[in-house]
Amino acid sequence: MTAAPAEIREDVRTLAVDDVTLRFGGITALSEVSFAVRPGTVHALIGPNGAGKSSCFNVISGLYRPTSGRVRLGDTDLTGTSPHRLAALGVGRSFQNIALSPHSTVRDNVLLGRHALTRGGFFSGGLRLPRTVRTERRHVARVEEICAFLGVDDRLDVPVGALPYGVAKRVDIARALAVEPTLLLLDEPAAGLNATETAEMGVTIRDLRDALGISVLLVEHDMGLVMGIADRVSVLDFGRLIADGSPAEVQADPEVIRAYLGTGGEEPE
Amino acid sequence: MSEVTVTPPETEAPPTPAPRRPRNWLKIAGVTLFLVLLVLFPVFTGTDVAYLKAGQYVLIGVVGAVGLTMLVGQAGQLSLATPFFLLVGAVSYAVLAGDSGDSGDLVGLGLPPVVAAVGAVVICGLVGLAFAPVSGRLRGIYLGVASLSLVFLGLYLGQSLDMLSGGTSTGRPPPTFAIFDFRFANTEPAPTILGVAVQKQQRLWYLFLVLAIGAYLLARGAVRSRIGRAWRAVRDNEAAATAMGVHVTRVKAGAFTISSAYAGLAGVMTALWLDLVKPDENEFVGTYSITVAIGYLAMVIIGGLGSIPGAVAGAVLVNGLPQLLTLGATEFGWFADARFGGPSPVLISAFVYGVAVVLVVMFEPGGLAAIGRRLAHVRAARPTRGGDRG
Ligand SMILES: Nc1ncnc2c1ncn2[C@@H]1O[C@H](COP(=O)(O)OP(=O)(O)OP(=O)(O)O)[C@@H](O)[C@H]1O
Ligand SMILES: [Mg+2]
Repeated sequence: MTAAPAEIREDVRTLAVDDVTLRFGGITALSEVSFAVRPGTVHALIGPNGAGKSSCFNVISGLYRPTSGRVRLGDTDLTGTSPHRLAALGVGRSFQNIALSPHSTVRDNVLLGRHALTRGGFFSGGLRLPRTVRTERRHVARVEEICAFLGVDDRLDVPVGALPYGVAKRVDIARALAVEPTLLLLDEPAAGLNATETAEMGVTIRDLRDALGISVLLVEHDMGLVMGIADRVSVLDFGRLIADGSPAEVQADPEVIRAYLGTGGEEPE
Repeated sequence: MSEVTVTPPETEAPPTPAPRRPRNWLKIAGVTLFLVLLVLFPVFTGTDVAYLKAGQYVLIGVVGAVGLTMLVGQAGQLSLATPFFLLVGAVSYAVLAGDSGDSGDLVGLGLPPVVAAVGAVVICGLVGLAFAPVSGRLRGIYLGVASLSLVFLGLYLGQSLDMLSGGTSTGRPPPTFAIFDFRFANTEPAPTILGVAVQKQQRLWYLFLVLAIGAYLLARGAVRSRIGRAWRAVRDNEAAATAMGVHVTRVKAGAFTISSAYAGLAGVMTALWLDLVKPDENEFVGTYSITVAIGYLAMVIIGGLGSIPGAVAGAVLVNGLPQLLTLGATEFGWFADARFGGPSPVLISAFVYGVAVVLVVMFEPGGLAAIGRRLAHVRAARPTRGGDRG
């Protein structure tokens, strides 16, 4: 069922979430969760509200440190890595609530994604040395390419705050792609989008996976979108992994149906 | 600073710009004319150095405000500590370049003035860096209050360490600035420009002009490049900045360091401008007081937070107005009753920029920079640039 792209890149490695538990005081947000994102797949993480999806994302991207368990990308242990190093390791992410700079232009926002790929501080930037300017021009060109891929290249000079929500969402993904990730984490890419935009987003996610050959891990509520584009689906409920398989398998899983229909009765937190 | 607003675009989406903008000759001509006027300023003022001194004071404000707007507007860290770094810069310069005094009760290392000035700027940067554990942890108004405590610390240290600062009664004279053998003092004979002798005040004007332009260009370049983007990212969303590879703590510390160094340079300039280094007697009025802290904050707010040209405009208003009014007072006898509790130049200008701050906050949070951009937009009918391009 793994509709992998034509060729799988060497540098795209497996992301392994290994027995991760995360507690906030008395709340167990994640409990012994394990799953793997295979290279070049679109992998969806689903579950009802409060299931722990965003928490899982934050553990993977190093913003939360798990109480126990590990996250590995290939041979690299991400659990012990400071979160700002992940971009350089090839992990890009977008946010559930768009986390862009509203007063900066689209180009400027997406250029931030190049941070880990570039060097230079106050003086090299301040003096606008020819070398700095030349490098920057190269990165701007790549950024504009990425923006074109996401269909936002006609707004490069517009401040993000002046964009419609659906467009801003795409800019957020463009920024995550500007990191040149081998693993792209998308937290609810379709949240707040209308039906047409959601369908377009689905096409975009598949397209970018096919074009770049990278792995995509996404959290999403829209079942239509998930079942349409995911190669594999992991289901969380109350912090536990209750199913992990192909979309068809997961859809038929009685425990998943129970979790979504809420017939299992409310468990105490 | 604010969350992404999901409003429809104010203007129609602009057309895709040409890969490289055509040169804007009108702008180039305007800037050139402006620079020529600045260079010729000592010629217009002639032998009356009062206006020249007023101009120098504005240039000090430019350096300080440009440094502060990077910190507050771009990196999102509120600071009221500018006067503290002005003081540290001024005293450091006097200590590094000065000699120990006749009675030997002053510390002075006797370094060449250029070395001392650079040293003072570096010291201020390092002191700012030392404050990073505080500035990195606190946010918004809490950081503002914490940074204000530095002003009190400066007041206390300035008063108690008088072998460094010279003490509140006499202060200490800063050594004359010199670049190799060229002294920024009155000499005979003096070089002339269009018949006007270039003496101490004219020389200081040119020195300050070069420093202010350098500080301005460096800041504009930084704001447009990688470090500027990192500042804005940290300001707007730390989690997103981190995910994009920005080391948030380090970037915050760096911004405070750079801003402190800018304030330190303004401090060295203040020492040369006053020809005296002397700590304040109280925290409310004086060269390094809370009033000055508020003045600098007013400059960057009036100019538009984070805008480098805006900071310049703010400095012109906040530092220039009291100077102009004072000149008017001596020349035309304004405020004759100030001594008897009537309005004084300082009071009136504080009132004017107070009102300007309120107007900006209420009607145009983008400040003078946004107004300027809008005018340019109307004139050239070009697409608006993002407010953060400096
Ligand atoms: N920083 C935190 N401190 C305390 N509790 C937290 C924190 N973050 C998440 N939680 C708790 O962990 C649980 C999982 O939350 P999480 O945001 O991961 O769910 P989610 O699956 O992303 O939900 P949604 O679909 O609403 O986005 C919730 O009970 C939440 O209250
Ligand atoms: Mg969530």
